[in-house]
Amino acid sequence: MTNSSESKIVVKNLVKSYNNKTNAVNGLTFSVSKGEIYGLLGRNGAGKTTTIRILTTLIPPTSGEAEVCGMNVVHKATKIRKLIGVVQQGEAFDFTTVEGNFKIYQLLWEIPKEEASNRMESLMELFKIEHLRKKRMFELSGGEKKRVQVAREFMHDMEVLFLDEPTVGMDPIMRRDVLNFVKDKAKEGLTVLFTTQILEEADYLCDRIGIMNNGVISAEGTSTSLKNSYGDLRKVEMKFSSEVSPDSIEKLKKEFSKISDIQAYLISEKESEFIIKNIGKTLPLILSLFGSTGVSIETISTNNPTLDDVFLQVVAR
Amino acid sequence: MIPSSIKLTIRNIRVNVDPGTLAFLLGLPALYFFVLGLMFQGIVPDFEYGTVKISYVSFLAPGIIGMQTLTAGNIGGSLLWADRRWGMFEQLMVGPFRRSDYLLGVVFVSIVFSLGGSLIMLGFAFSANATFILSTLSIPYIIVALIIGTVFFTSLFLIIAVVAKSMQAYNTITIVLFFFLDFASTAFYPITSSTPIWLRAISSVNPVSLVCNIVRDSMVSGISSATMISTLEMTGIMALFFVLAMVMYRRVRVGA
Repeated sequence: MTNSSESKIVVKNLVKSYNNKTNAVNGLTFSVSKGEIYGLLGRNGAGKTTTIRILTTLIPPTSGEAEVCGMNVVHKATKIRKLIGVVQQGEAFDFTTVEGNFKIYQLLWEIPKEEASNRMESLMELFKIEHLRKKRMFELSGGEKKRVQVAREFMHDMEVLFLDEPTVGMDPIMRRDVLNFVKDKAKEGLTVLFTTQILEEADYLCDRIGIMNNGVISAEGTSTSLKNSYGDLRKVEMKFSSEVSPDSIEKLKKEFSKISDIQAYLISEKESEFIIKNIGKTLPLILSLFGSTGVSIETISTNNPTLDDVFLQVVAR
Repeated sequence: MIPSSIKLTIRNIRVNVDPGTLAFLLGLPALYFFVLGLMFQGIVPDFEYGTVKISYVSFLAPGIIGMQTLTAGNIGGSLLWADRRWGMFEQLMVGPFRRSDYLLGVVFVSIVFSLGGSLIMLGFAFSANATFILSTLSIPYIIVALIIGTVFFTSLFLIIAVVAKSMQAYNTITIVLFFFLDFASTAFYPITSSTPIWLRAISSVNPVSLVCNIVRDSMVSGISSATMISTLEMTGIMALFFVLAMVMYRRVRVGA
């Protein structure tokens, strides 16, 4: 496979079938550069977790190619596993104390004792779990377990980090702290593949986003470019300076129905509301129609498209 | 650089050094030893074992030591079950390890617990005035027998851990096995001509009996040709079950 030297993850025509019937991943292609945070979004069953499991060498692909750190996930699995960190979607912990879990990671990754101790202390402080250090894992709440799971992964050095819905169960403040920490790590050169169901997280964290649907990426780009490409439906609200007569409303309705970029609208004597495409072209048309009917507009407001709008459009196609 | 299987062994020890596991590993056999040993010691006169006359406590102690292989083997199986249930098997498989490292880590930790538990039981036996003929030949022989027995039982419980669909199923199977293998063996009582023939047959093929007999011969009466035959039998059974366990273990799916 041709691999850009900057790409830490390269996936090409990846397919994963179960029982030769269902394709959980169906010809997936994308790449992630060094230091980039790439978000995989999609509905449940879109193939995000299967993709992560293939890339973390847990399961082999049915066909296609996947490379992590320039190595094939099937042939160089053991070497890849030494260079990656993984926070799984489900719980994964040893039945010991919180501190015990960190110390086991120190042992497993052979981190020098002093360095491990410093890292553990700073991670515990950062993830606000110092007070839990002597507690056994089964005594913790779901969100606390998740914090330990994420924090523990940063005990060892890695080139690529796979985060499969890492903030599930966390409160908004902790979630933001975790995302900021991941952002800082990416600035230091860590490559991150991130999946989430919380679109604001992806919007906040990811350099690029791929929206998965039925095992393939249906839309890809930066958050802004996706919004520009797919989020072109806008809601426009207007308030009139004076009451509009019923005759004028009927006349306007006839004209609005001729404009294909108006997806929906409501109009009353005092105000109107439109869902429109191509705002740059459509809004002046609407305003000129109001002008020609003698309706003066007091206020106009529009909302910006969100990643939710993009997501809904892409997965609904 | 520490070999991965050793790192996983140390991790397995740390994870299992909890009051529950220690009570199961040491408390139960110690209870068997002191309660049964001291209670029956008073009513069972010294009897012939092979060519020597021994007390009941001296008879029971090697049985309790042999049983450590069964107890430690169960720890190995439970470990695989728990790691699968609580996500650590998958987490370790995305770490710097191979599947074989994990398997070896489970086998090694069972051996550590088996030998450690046996040593403690031996200490208990000495404290209860049991007498043995330990020598430079018998000690390594006992250790080898305990390792063979532990690998066998670990393999058996790994197979159960792979097959069992729930923790309840795993626990039920292992509890039934424990009672059957322990009490239908020569761990607690000798097989004599007055033992019912069906019980004699079960006991003679019971792996706990084989291990206990090897350990007892080595500690009490001396290693004989019968001991060596039992050792060969146990080695064969162990090899067969270890291969079976590896085949089953390869079928454990991660992340599918």
